[in-house]
Amino acid sequence: MATSPAHGRNSEVQPDLGRVPAETAAAAPRRRHGHTMRRRRQILGVAVVAPAFIVICVFFFVPLVLMLWMSLNNWPLLGAHKFIGLDNYTRAFQDQDWRDACMFTLKYTALTTPVLFIAGLGLALLVRRATKAARFFQSIFFLPVIIGLAAGSYLFLYLAQPGLGPLTDLARQAHLSSGGSNWFSTATSALLIVTAMVTWKVAGMQMLLLLSGLQSIPVELEEAAHIDGASRWQSFRHVVLPLLRPTLALVLVFSVAGSLLAFDQFYIMTAGGPANGTITAVYQIYRTSFINFDLGYGASLSTLLMIVLAAVSALQMLLLRNSDHN
Amino acid sequence: MRTTKVRAGAVLICLTLGVSACGGGGGSTTTTGATGKASGTITLWARDSEKAFINVLADAYNKNNGVKVKVTIVPSGNFVQKLGTAASSGSGPDVASIDLVYLPYFASKGVLEDITEVANSLPYKDSLSQAHRKLATYNGKTYALPFTAEASVMFYNKDLFKQAGLNPNKPPTTYAEMLTAARAIHKLGPDTYGFTFAGSCGGCNIFEFAPHVWASGGDVLSADGKKAMLNSPQVTDALNFYHTMVSEGLVPPSAKTDSGVAQPAAFQSGKVGMVNLGAFFVGTLVGDKKVNFGLAPIPGATGGTASFAGGDEIAVTQGSQNKVAATDFVKWATSEEAQTILAKAGIVPVRTDLLDKIYVPLDPRYKALADALRKGRTPYSVVENAVFNDNNGAWSKMINQAVFGGNAQAAQAQAQQAAQQILDRG
Repeated sequence: MATSPAHGRNSEVQPDLGRVPAETAAAAPRRRHGHTMRRRRQILGVAVVAPAFIVICVFFFVPLVLMLWMSLNNWPLLGAHKFIGLDNYTRAFQDQDWRDACMFTLKYTALTTPVLFIAGLGLALLVRRATKAARFFQSIFFLPVIIGLAAGSYLFLYLAQPGLGPLTDLARQAHLSSGGSNWFSTATSALLIVTAMVTWKVAGMQMLLLLSGLQSIPVELEEAAHIDGASRWQSFRHVVLPLLRPTLALVLVFSVAGSLLAFDQFYIMTAGGPANGTITAVYQIYRTSFINFDLGYGASLSTLLMIVLAAVSALQMLLLRNSDHN
Repeated sequence: MRTTKVRAGAVLICLTLGVSACGGGGGSTTTTGATGKASGTITLWARDSEKAFINVLADAYNKNNGVKVKVTIVPSGNFVQKLGTAASSGSGPDVASIDLVYLPYFASKGVLEDITEVANSLPYKDSLSQAHRKLATYNGKTYALPFTAEASVMFYNKDLFKQAGLNPNKPPTTYAEMLTAARAIHKLGPDTYGFTFAGSCGGCNIFEFAPHVWASGGDVLSADGKKAMLNSPQVTDALNFYHTMVSEGLVPPSAKTDSGVAQPAAFQSGKVGMVNLGAFFVGTLVGDKKVNFGLAPIPGATGGTASFAGGDEIAVTQGSQNKVAATDFVKWATSEEAQTILAKAGIVPVRTDLLDKIYVPLDPRYKALADALRKGRTPYSVVENAVFNDNNGAWSKMINQAVFGGNAQAAQAQAQQAAQQILDRG
């Protein structure tokens, strides 16, 4: 028990060993009082955390355990299930559709992560000043974040529809594309439109996170670099970026995790087409579970995705955790 | 302290695990016998394509019987998922109006109530649509009654035909004639197209494209539903025919990524000469009053005609708490009163004995639909959704790749293998 200050004080006042019982008696009320306070604080802590803990248990841990159990079974949506061990996992490694979906998800992540980061960082540097105008534009840039991914997807689906949407019409009038083209007709062009939508929608959030990171860098450092003769670009590269590392790690983890789990935008904008060219990992899990009604196999795919996600996040945290923080 | 917290946490987890393991089972089956007077409330799920008439139908039933029917409209695209997940968790409806192609699947999974006796007791049971009855039968028992009928026919724009110098009263009857007509119509202008279809829709194409194969003497699935026939020569011919039209620019660019919504809109705008669609579209066009359209049977390569007999069947679910009332409603839905309401809403009735009485007189063009229904075909399979209707499945992918890419044989081979795998897995 950490009542050593009291104990120490008592022993200084009455060092006599014979007086130990009295010492203990004198110290006992103080110890019980401290004991109860600590106990109360702990109970209060548990009580405050309990609701969140219960929610996480019921909505995360329990389904997680159930999902792991389902992945070891042949579990159709309707009908009886049968234990088959790791068969679902071996099937996953031989499934061409799953491999294609994973490849496409990686391609999508590799494309959106730098684009989003550069857009977010650019916007953050723009609104970094303390002026009212900068605050106003910060709000404008953040506005798309609040409308919901499905709403944004439908919006861009309409905007880029051939023959119907204004974007295709504008492109035609600006002679950037021929009249009859369908921007969703190839997997590459469809991917670019979806990336454009995601960038427009999510850049604001990254801007905000990077802005808070930038604002935590003391101004004196950049001023000192400026006095030492560093150009804007040099001071940015050698002073700002290294100090931004923890924020960078945070932003990248969010961005990569979000991209690996992409589903809504493809389901709505391309429906996985053309010819299944834009199916992501989660989309394939959805198809397996709710169109082929093969829940056991879908659960095994989910488990694999979860492992990959955890590994990627751990790797990112490791790479971006710099030990020379002074 | 730490051990107490860990212990508390462990107890919590065990409790929640125990609760979730015990809970959630099939719906309780308090079956009241099939006799007795129908009363109470029943819930009915219908697809959004039926929203024009399903409430009128429910109101008509509620007025004359002691039962109250509550209708819930479910989006077509998610109907199978929603019914499947609801049935597995016991929260489904009493009565469901299901697309007939899914009947074998739901019947085989024990979701639907066996109503063989009720079906056999109907005096008009032999004049109910043959295709529907076949699909509702599983292992010799009947699990649903026909409800609404749909048949695929070719819609053609009579004005565009006239402008292009074609006879508006003699629609094409072979691939060659369709090609000639499409070319002539496309010559009218760069934004005017000869033909359109949905390039990324499995369900649309089993409805609209498969009849070409059937009319040419081929098939896409064996009669017992166990062998896929996607690599047959008639399929190759049909795919190449569509590919020719696409490569000559006779098809609008939106067709490639169309999941079903662009094709009717394109025909409605008056800019497309021909499209294969169903009875549901007649009501839309008639109400729109913009396009002067005619109906023709879907042709095969060198003649012959075929149609996909579609529509919904109506069934009582196993988990229903009020099976007496549900069965009574299901029976009533095939009666002349109910089918007349449907006919007035432009839906093809399932009673072939009543077609000439309540349906054809409403519009002379309906005769083509009535004839199509009488000869209509429907593929039978418990995995129809996964093989054909899935927009990302083998059938849809094959058509998209072959028609817009050109290599029909390769696309067919790949699709045949994928489809057969699903059929084998059952």
